[in-house]
Amino acid sequence: MSLLLSAENVSVHAGSECLVQPASLALHAGRPLTILGETGSGKSLLAQAIIGTLPSGLTAAGRVQVAGQVFDPGRPSTFRRLWGRQIGILPQEPWLSLDPLMPAAAQVSEGHALVRGLPWDQARAAAAGDLAQLGLAQAGHRRPDQLSGGMAQRAAFAAARAGGARIVIADEPTKGLDAGRRNDISALLLAETAAGGGLLTITHDLALARALSGDLVVVLNGRIVERGPAAQVLADPQHDYTRALIAADPAAWPHPRPRQVAGATVLSASGLSVARGGRVLISGMDIDLRPGHIIGISGPSGCGKSTLGDALLGLVPLAGGTVTRAPGCAAVRFQKLYQDPPSAFPGSVTLGRSLADLVARHRLDKGRIGALLDRLRLSPQLLQRRPSEVSGGELQRMALLRVLLLDPVFLFADEPTSRLDLITQAQVTRLMVDVARDTGMGLLIVSHDTDLLTKVCDRVIRLDDPAQTRAA
Amino acid sequence: MTMSDTTLMPVARHGFGRLRWIGLVLLTLVVGFALLAPVLTFTDPLQQDLMKALAGPDAAAPFGYDHLGRSLMARLAAALRLSLSIAAASVLTAGIVGVGLGVLSAWRGGWIDRTLCLLADSVLALPGLLMVLIVTAIVADRPLAFWIGLTLVLWIEYFRLTRATVARQLAAPGVQASRLLGFGPGYVFRRHLWPDLAPVLLTVAAFGAGTAIMTIAALGFVSVGMRPPAPELGLMMVELLPYYREAPLALFQPVIAIFLTILALNLLAQGGRR
Amino acid sequence: MTLRALGYRMVQALLVALLVGGLTFLMMQALPGDAAFRIAAGRYGYDMVNAAAAAQVRAELGLDGSGWSAFAAWLGDLLRLDFGTSLISGRPVMEEIRHQLGASLQLAGVSLALSLLIGPPLGVIAGLHAGGWLDRGLLVLSAALRAVPQFLMGLILIVTLSIQLGWLPAAGHGRADHLILPALTLALGLAAISARVTRDAMAGVAARPDYAFGRWKGLSERQMLRRHGLRNIGVPLVTFLGLQLVLLIEGVVVVEAIFGWPGIGHALVHAIFGRDVPMVQGTALLLGLGFVLLNALTDLAAHLIDPRGARTP
Repeated sequence: MSLLLSAENVSVHAGSECLVQPASLALHAGRPLTILGETGSGKSLLAQAIIGTLPSGLTAAGRVQVAGQVFDPGRPSTFRRLWGRQIGILPQEPWLSLDPLMPAAAQVSEGHALVRGLPWDQARAAAAGDLAQLGLAQAGHRRPDQLSGGMAQRAAFAAARAGGARIVIADEPTKGLDAGRRNDISALLLAETAAGGGLLTITHDLALARALSGDLVVVLNGRIVERGPAAQVLADPQHDYTRALIAADPAAWPHPRPRQVAGATVLSASGLSVARGGRVLISGMDIDLRPGHIIGISGPSGCGKSTLGDALLGLVPLAGGTVTRAPGCAAVRFQKLYQDPPSAFPGSVTLGRSLADLVARHRLDKGRIGALLDRLRLSPQLLQRRPSEVSGGELQRMALLRVLLLDPVFLFADEPTSRLDLITQAQVTRLMVDVARDTGMGLLIVSHDTDLLTKVCDRVIRLDDPAQTRAA
Repeated sequence: MTMSDTTLMPVARHGFGRLRWIGLVLLTLVVGFALLAPVLTFTDPLQQDLMKALAGPDAAAPFGYDHLGRSLMARLAAALRLSLSIAAASVLTAGIVGVGLGVLSAWRGGWIDRTLCLLADSVLALPGLLMVLIVTAIVADRPLAFWIGLTLVLWIEYFRLTRATVARQLAAPGVQASRLLGFGPGYVFRRHLWPDLAPVLLTVAAFGAGTAIMTIAALGFVSVGMRPPAPELGLMMVELLPYYREAPLALFQPVIAIFLTILALNLLAQGGRR
Repeated sequence: MTLRALGYRMVQALLVALLVGGLTFLMMQALPGDAAFRIAAGRYGYDMVNAAAAAQVRAELGLDGSGWSAFAAWLGDLLRLDFGTSLISGRPVMEEIRHQLGASLQLAGVSLALSLLIGPPLGVIAGLHAGGWLDRGLLVLSAALRAVPQFLMGLILIVTLSIQLGWLPAAGHGRADHLILPALTLALGLAAISARVTRDAMAGVAARPDYAFGRWKGLSERQMLRRHGLRNIGVPLVTFLGLQLVLLIEGVVVVEAIFGWPGIGHALVHAIFGRDVPMVQGTALLLGLGFVLLNALTDLAAHLIDPRGARTP
């Protein structure tokens, strides 16, 4: 097992502030190395320092050795000759990282021609071969906007390695893709190590880390808190943080006890059809939601699951069927939680001001805010801040507080935790579900995460392909 | 003549940058001079004294005299007052019309939106200078003609940017959330639309005022704007140009005045650039 | 998509014609009472003018007709491109315009070419090194240039290059050096703007993830610019410049009037001054339709560079 890349005491600073404590890593041929951490943990900065791609304004120090040559992370420009030739960098969200105006094949062949130095006709043939191997033989002439997310990922993979790189650095390769694609991605990455190449993956995704196996490094607040073989670390975590992280994975949540739901229907739909852009996505759907009842809807992106929730709330027109609300309930008792919490609040005023507006509008009891802050474990000081100055998890709980002031009978939560880290996701989901049970609010959760839904919902509806639904 | 300079308008950034402060200070100085000059030395900008033609500064005329022996400072201040008031009036009326139609267009959509967009695009196709020129041929009173003509030109940029900004906000979850929470259109405008719109409008207004001042001066310079003996910057330049060799400083005064005014307005507008 | 855009431009062109028709109709209605006499005097000289000549002019202008029927007839003539004859020279408007168009196109073409030689190359370099000394220097220069209206630029160039240094003639037409001052006046303003637009587009593209990915693939800066940079700045550049062409058209009006360049703009200013309604109508329509045509060409160019679907300009 030969050493491809080693990093010794690599640290990252912004001015005098230390963002990544000195860390050492070794990448061996044929053995994947994965850096696991949450947003802001410094995992990406560490990787960027090692390959010389740090954003300007940040400085790095330490020692990096690649293919027998020594590099100084403090001088990122010296790394440039490694790019494409020794190190292939697979960017985050590859569909944004391909030239939008150039066909996929040309973006691969230019690596063969301009970096490896092949004549253009051979470069084109090599690119066609690469794409065919990745199942993209028919897609070479397409522009990135004509490729699906998974296809763009494979095209970017071919482009990143066309210059002859044997070390692949993959930054958040599952970001923005449906969970169903995870296996494809790990297979794609592992094919490289199987052929004796190197693989360094940066991810927040426990399942991907588990699938890649090899070595695992866990990063928290710019420090490596645990390291070892992935199987061992994930099965028997030593550090508290790693334990919390693994416990927060929906796959590890306890199964819910089956419950009987009682009470009059708060919202029902029969024969519901939903269309977007003139295309019918869902048809003939029946839903019956009772107080405290939690229904989950899962499915790949574009299957119409969010549009379904909007249709139930009357925010988009129905393509067919009927939606009936419980009689005698005010319209404002049917509410929604949004995927991107900052965009759901007025950005120009403090959260306290937003809540005060709501209290004034409906002549509510201001005193309830304090009790709800306690219930949702939010600090009253957050009320002094604007939405942009509050973390995503806090803001989503604040959004929950805001709708709870109106005593909702129905809440549509549209991917409420998809932008949150694992531990925060577990906390927000737990609170939301508890509140629904306690207050007798009907809850509809839309998520791409089937694991999460099966652990908290009374009923999960899986939408596969558009216009094809089955209840589970 | 950068009549359509505002189409370069970038998305405004929140906050008030350093360039904007420089622009604001500069503009305050120009406006202050225009308003205070007559208070300091009261001289009629039309009063001639051929004995003093092209004479240097004295107590009654600190900036010297023009070719007809009129006080340059009094004329400069009067010209700036004229240009600035027409610019302010045009920017204000164009703003009211443009913002109103822009909000209407984005909010209602459908055929109202399509019609207004087509109208705006078609007016945009007529060079603004041409529009103002034609209005001066219809309306006899020049300041009034400038006001009407410039309003007809300037409303478009307000309309386009208001429409784009409001449409973006209306499609965002924030507005939907507020409506679901039971808030009305007034609240949506106050809390969601206006905070996003205000910095954009400041930029459009500053660019628009610059456009207005340049248009008035350009038409004066090619003798189809204000008529002599009215004090007007473009007219002053074309009157003083033949005496450039004898009195170069006299010609520089209106030149510097218009440069500083436009620079101040551009800085005020551009401070919001990304 | 292209067909739809073409249709939209056709409707726009029609609306432009209606606007020009409406405005010039109002202009005609606003002519003072003795306008016919004055115009007849302008045409035939004060000695030759008599009641019959004035009546003929009045009939020609439709000054005695009024209301919607007059307006309809007016628009009908306009849409058939029948502008009649100039009230001042007495020659057909179309013929006059054909004469002037050549001079204007020559001036506009040379100015545009000159500005494109100066502006975009500087913008590309500044954008690739955003925040560098060239970028900051260019920002100051472009801000200063944009605070100089075109007529003022003309004045400055006349005073320095013509009066002070005596290198070039200030006005006139016919010799090649007559073209330099007006073309330079127009080109400097346009270059300031196109440099700025190019700089912003280039800085935007260079900051995009796909540009970074190109570097990570191992391509050099030169290879990146050639294969990915220029094409990607093409779209915003073409779209912006298409809108900015109205500047060129306006600039032509002012600059021709200042330098006595015998083109459309010069004619327009004279026609407004002399209340020559048919000439105003003809030149205004030509300028408006010219802008619509340039916009249509811009759409087409942007579509050729970037064939993806809907784009917001």
